[in-house]
Amino acid sequence: MDTIRICKQCRKPLPQNSPEGLCPECLARVALGSEPAAPRTRIPPAPAELAAQFPQLEILELLGMGGMGMVYKARQPRLDRLVALKILPIDSLPDASFAERFEREAKALAKLNHPGIVTLYDFGQTREYYYFIMEYVDGMNLRQLIQAKSLEPRQALELVMQICTALQFAHDEKIVHRDIKPENILITKKGQVKIADFGLAKLLGGQPDTALTASQMVMGTINYMAPEQRQNAQGVDHRADIYSLGVVFYEMLTGEVPMGRFEPPSKKVQIDVRLDEVVLHALEREPARRYQHVSEVKSNVETITATTPARSESPAASPTCASPMDRVLSLNLQALKSAQMDKARTALGRCKAHRVFELITCVLMAVGLGIYLRHRLTVPSLAIPALILDIFTIAAAAGAVRQLILLGEISFEEPITVIQRKTEAVKLHRLQLARLMVLSLPFYMAYVALGFDLFFGVNVLAHASRFYIYANLVVSLALLVPALWLFRNLNFRNAGHPVIRVFIKGTGGKALLAAMEFLKRTEEIEAEEQN
Amino acid sequence: MASSTSHSNGGRDLTGAAQFGQTQWSIVLAAAGKRDLAIAEQSLEKLCRVYWLPLYTYIRRQGESRQDAQDLTQEFFARLLEKDFLGSVDQTKGRFRSFLLASLKHFLSNQRDRARAQKRGGGQTPLSLDFTEAETSLTFQPADEQTPEKAFEKRWALTLLEQSLARLRKEYIDHGRQELFEQLKATLTEGRGGVAYAELSARLGMSEAAVKMAVHRLRQRYREVLRAEIAETVALESEVEDELREVFRALSH
Repeated sequence: MDTIRICKQCRKPLPQNSPEGLCPECLARVALGSEPAAPRTRIPPAPAELAAQFPQLEILELLGMGGMGMVYKARQPRLDRLVALKILPIDSLPDASFAERFEREAKALAKLNHPGIVTLYDFGQTREYYYFIMEYVDGMNLRQLIQAKSLEPRQALELVMQICTALQFAHDEKIVHRDIKPENILITKKGQVKIADFGLAKLLGGQPDTALTASQMVMGTINYMAPEQRQNAQGVDHRADIYSLGVVFYEMLTGEVPMGRFEPPSKKVQIDVRLDEVVLHALEREPARRYQHVSEVKSNVETITATTPARSESPAASPTCASPMDRVLSLNLQALKSAQMDKARTALGRCKAHRVFELITCVLMAVGLGIYLRHRLTVPSLAIPALILDIFTIAAAAGAVRQLILLGEISFEEPITVIQRKTEAVKLHRLQLARLMVLSLPFYMAYVALGFDLFFGVNVLAHASRFYIYANLVVSLALLVPALWLFRNLNFRNAGHPVIRVFIKGTGGKALLAAMEFLKRTEEIEAEEQN
Repeated sequence: MASSTSHSNGGRDLTGAAQFGQTQWSIVLAAAGKRDLAIAEQSLEKLCRVYWLPLYTYIRRQGESRQDAQDLTQEFFARLLEKDFLGSVDQTKGRFRSFLLASLKHFLSNQRDRARAQKRGGGQTPLSLDFTEAETSLTFQPADEQTPEKAFEKRWALTLLEQSLARLRKEYIDHGRQELFEQLKATLTEGRGGVAYAELSARLGMSEAAVKMAVHRLRQRYREVLRAEIAETVALESEVEDELREVFRALSH
């Protein structure tokens, strides 16, 4: 009997006969579109299930989940506006005093009205959940921007200044965020920063034994926590936010989180050395030695940007052609993706044009051969070769038609994997056609005969010596071997074979291969987005 | 001949509304209306072949002995595949899973009224079912206070996963990429950051970027295949996501 195995991911025992030896629960989780289970988290309820508990909302879809609960996109039908619904399962918060603290904190958060802060519209409690109804932000978070690796220093500065303004506003209201990190900094499509989840960390942090502290989410947060916060999560002030901001700032500039003995940002990337001072000052271990107000960070950054000559090598950085908002906008992964998609679309258009050309050529040839055939009907030594060639030409024309249909079925509205599959179908079809065409190899003698007749008016086959005919028949038979081999083996399964590989490449068609390359890049961006 | 292909994405084209009209279960439902029996029975039989184990699990959890449970499962299928079962299918709605469980409950309550001593089945075995395998997987399920319904749901979910992974594996094998599948399958359940890309890239002789892409593809394809499997058991495309959640709730306990 096997020993009991444990899932490496969620640490639960695997059932006997688990599919492919994988953890069913994690598989289910992945299928639902989220990450594999973090220990002791749960499968989010379907929008339809929540409907009964939230009659005032139309719940549309799950936006995301973390250690702290789940966020859904929803609509308030009466106001006709989109909102984000955040739910926290009550049974994951066994602390009886939570309800009271929840009420108190939520009321304070509702007072935070600022364009740079995600507004809290409503909060409450249902049978199973505590919930917040918040402003819905259509855009992306800073984590996604950092991962896209296209954040330029100037854009980072612009975002930092916006974050500072919003944070200062909250600090003036005596509210500390306590969990500033790239995931909580949202950026709208217009380039406006919106800080999410204010105060939630305080609300949830009081219960070290809940699932929340065990989750990956909190573990990830540790990188952004001020040293004093790591030691005593409850007794911190707004200067903890300043430290976290420093970490985010450092990461935006360098792509890395400062850890241990880290280098100043300007050692890692080419930026104004004066920024080192700002970042390092925010990252002081002693709260008293740090910036005392976020507004100071902002004014220092402002001074640096104001006195930096706008460099001309980057067109996006020139203030005349794009506002800071536009520059942030241009970072959108979506934009990168659609640029690749456009290229793919153009390449596929080219591919279509090639097929049309192919079709016309083949039809003309087929018709020409038909006419020739009529004239030579009485001469079998010429009529038969013409017939053979005509059949292959018609097959090629039919192939071109089929490919045009396949190309016509590709819609760019569909998911990228579907477009890819359909494009590959075209490529496969071309390969299949090539398979058929290699069968014409052994008939080379027929083509030679046709050529002589057309260009020199000589019927070679009729006048050739017996030796010539036999010699060529032998060659034809010999050619049958590679022709049949190719017919059997030309498929993607044998892509590893060097000869087949050459054929796959050769029959792909430049435009089609280019389109596939662009689609692959689109997919890569999508993968990046998901990671 | 060019129906669909891709090095990792083979098999049927599963997307698009056009294909959706053709699920096994929707064929059964449609046929129930038109009394188009031959096709319906084929589809039903295909579905039953896949999903008999959850039923057997349910019966066993009801406290039946191994022998009785085997007989009952076989007999249930015999009844189900008889000519007149279709009258009982409510064509307007319902998923195959609910239909099957409801039918089974109905069948079992009828059976109890009859004399158990009667010889059942008359030696007929409508489907060849591997009960030995079934017992092995039952024995190792924790003997907790699981209700028969929960056991049924759980087994159903596992069957779905098994089916999907088997199909995924077959696709990879068909594309000559079995080795890739073997090496990458574990990444399906690995969290972000947990995948040892460098190690995989060395083992597979691929660049790290290519491994990343392959991992991403495998995961995408897995999601598609699983949804396609589920799609076979519901009548409307809009039900797939709900069914997915409902089924997998059983796994999270």
